[in-house]
Amino acid sequence: MDLPDSSELSRRDYLRALVAAGGTAALSACLDSSGDSPVPTGDPDARPQRQHAWNDALATDDDGNPQNPEHHVLLALELTADVDDDSRAQVESALRSLESAYAYDNDGLLFTMGYSPSYFETVGTDPPLPEPEALTTIESPEFDDFDSLVHLASDNANVVLEAEEALFGEVTPNDTEMEATFEGVFERGEPRRTGFVGAGLPADHTDMPGVPESVPDEAPFFMGFRSGFAESQAPESRVTISEGPYAGGTTTHVESLTLQLRTWFEQDNHFQRVAKLFSPDHAKEERVGSVGERLGASTGVAGEIADDTAEDAREFGTVGHAQKTARARDDDGTPPLLRRDFNTVDGDQPGVHFLAHQRQIGDFVRARRAMAGEDIAGEGVGQRLNNGILQYIFVRRRGNFLVPPREKRALPTA
Amino acid sequence: MTRDDTPVDRTHSTSRRRLLVATAGTVTAGLAGCLGGEESNDEPTESTPEPPEVTDSENVPQTPRVSDPPDAVYLPTHRTSMTHLDTVESGPYTVAPMLSYPHRFWLVTGTDPELVRPNVQGLHLMFSVRDSETGAVLPADVGAQVRILRDGQVRETLSPWPMISQTMGFHFGDNIPIREPGSYTVEVDLSPMTVRRTGEFADRFDTRRTVSFGFDFDRDFQREIVDGVEFLDESRWGERDALEPMMGHGSGGDETSGGNAVRPPDGYPGRSLGEPTSGDATFVVRYLTDTHLSDGGYLLVSPRTPYNRIPLADMALSVSGALEGELVQTLDSDVGHHYGLTGSLSPGDSLELAVDGPPQVARHQGYETAFLDMPPMEIEVPQ
Repeated sequence: MDLPDSSELSRRDYLRALVAAGGTAALSACLDSSGDSPVPTGDPDARPQRQHAWNDALATDDDGNPQNPEHHVLLALELTADVDDDSRAQVESALRSLESAYAYDNDGLLFTMGYSPSYFETVGTDPPLPEPEALTTIESPEFDDFDSLVHLASDNANVVLEAEEALFGEVTPNDTEMEATFEGVFERGEPRRTGFVGAGLPADHTDMPGVPESVPDEAPFFMGFRSGFAESQAPESRVTISEGPYAGGTTTHVESLTLQLRTWFEQDNHFQRVAKLFSPDHAKEERVGSVGERLGASTGVAGEIADDTAEDAREFGTVGHAQKTARARDDDGTPPLLRRDFNTVDGDQPGVHFLAHQRQIGDFVRARRAMAGEDIAGEGVGQRLNNGILQYIFVRRRGNFLVPPREKRALPTA
Repeated sequence: MTRDDTPVDRTHSTSRRRLLVATAGTVTAGLAGCLGGEESNDEPTESTPEPPEVTDSENVPQTPRVSDPPDAVYLPTHRTSMTHLDTVESGPYTVAPMLSYPHRFWLVTGTDPELVRPNVQGLHLMFSVRDSETGAVLPADVGAQVRILRDGQVRETLSPWPMISQTMGFHFGDNIPIREPGSYTVEVDLSPMTVRRTGEFADRFDTRRTVSFGFDFDRDFQREIVDGVEFLDESRWGERDALEPMMGHGSGGDETSGGNAVRPPDGYPGRSLGEPTSGDATFVVRYLTDTHLSDGGYLLVSPRTPYNRIPLADMALSVSGALEGELVQTLDSDVGHHYGLTGSLSPGDSLELAVDGPPQVARHQGYETAFLDMPPMEIEVPQ
């Protein structure tokens, strides 16, 4: 892939483009651009047993919402070796080397390693999770069928790039020796996916055909509003597997979406966007503000507003995405999904890699079907029309992964 | 005329040459006015559009608008021209595509219309989805997904809006930006329908299909899609009437409008409970007792536009009184699109038919002020 031209892009956009390009040349350019600010090293023994326990390590915003790191890479891996004590030790050693190279925080490296159903079939075990499938009538996705997924995240673009290259022995990460690499055990699979989160980042991409000038400058997500409110997120304990061989682990679902932002920003008005993203009541009562700043740490859709979904469809002709989805919460109001999603411009189209952790894939399916609102289609709203944000999102891919607890993260066979 | 409109030749049957000349000379001012004019009450004031390139401008004729339309169906100033492409069939679905220049239309959320301005360089893509066996248009949101490709690369992914227009009836459409001349492919994914289906439709339209068609976007094409814009006599602009539906192309089911109209009131089975109106829509109300739609009695309500009998989809209806409940939007192979409820009625019964939510379909000009404020209707079962 050609490297982006630093003279044509803002620094932030340039770093994002380098992460999307990937490879050692991109890393080199990224290090040149990053200056000398040192990245702290880390201690593998200080990391928690749950691979997905990022919340304590993440920075928080003024309202106490954990902030997903800015840069993300989803690395697809194909298994090329037999699974035995040697290959397992090699993978574990490579991961511990990364943990030595980087601190466990936004500036350092946060990562998870998960395994697909086809991995478990390859190693001759019953898959502890289902194959991905189409979850709604309006999608026909491709499916992730590679063996393993490594999700790399950091506020430093050079860290995610360097960690990726280090796993294949191309570089020495943060001046720390790799005691082993993935070479000979894994090779790169397809697709390689990248993305970003953070105020202003979507607005940096208005040079792309699918990203209109009207994306608000301060919006952290392409849809123009804050997301990941603490109150809408499952606690890490709610997404942790509680029993069996993978107790302490979690599952990952990755739903890759294309977004239609021109319609969203240039045909709908702000009232319609708020009604479709949150709820008609949010729009009528002006609860949200221009990018969600009035919401603090809670969307406020749980309970009454979620219960009114079908009524709003009939009487207001529109229902909100958050309102519909909140119908899938537990009886006590706890959300079942922990979102670690991010924006992307992979394929030169605006999109989202909606990455979520949940105790079992069934939790995701339940929440996603609530969001699809097929029960209210034809009852005042359409299959997409005014049915939350379905008019603007298009599912491209789905993948399911088991993320074992840290002690079993290297080539599990339980 | 509203202030944002560009004066063009207002006599009817403007020649293509005169239209093009008028357009080429005035488009920059016209479009700027259109985008920044007095209608922009909900728009951020900083949205100053780039003036369109002259070479791309001629596919947006600067058509005048009716300045103070009635809260009812009305005649617009002109009749849109368009190009029909060949219909494409896949399994139970037949797609009839049409292309025109970027259009004004209105989205509806609740009871509020929101103007969509034709501020893209490109075209207005439309298609109707029909039953392959009967040719009948399927007038409900099917959640279609469209990809516009050039050289095998996806340039745009979108879900076109379910819409109604006086000439086209129910269809799906949107303005699509096309920045460069060339050959384009359109792929349309049709989803299994979730709307209630009955009769022979009960197990039809439950598969996913993709159809594709292509077009060349160039100067000839751009001329072609403005060729034939017909202006109405100015004395008729805003009159309470509707343009004649388009005839001919892709027709199949209904003799009057290419399969797009629902049948006249006397074409329905059962007993007539009247044809009340609300918000300028006509509601054909029938009570059926011997029907595959229900084991017992069945209240059938078919709301449609006046003049052209275009079915009004994606609304919410309920009744109270002698029969109480929410009506369910239904596509039936025999009686077509309607809203229905199972229940028994007797002579002398009275009920109120309420529009809980008006049709959420997007509107072309002449429909954007109708079918929004829809008061309840009184229904009496005759002795």
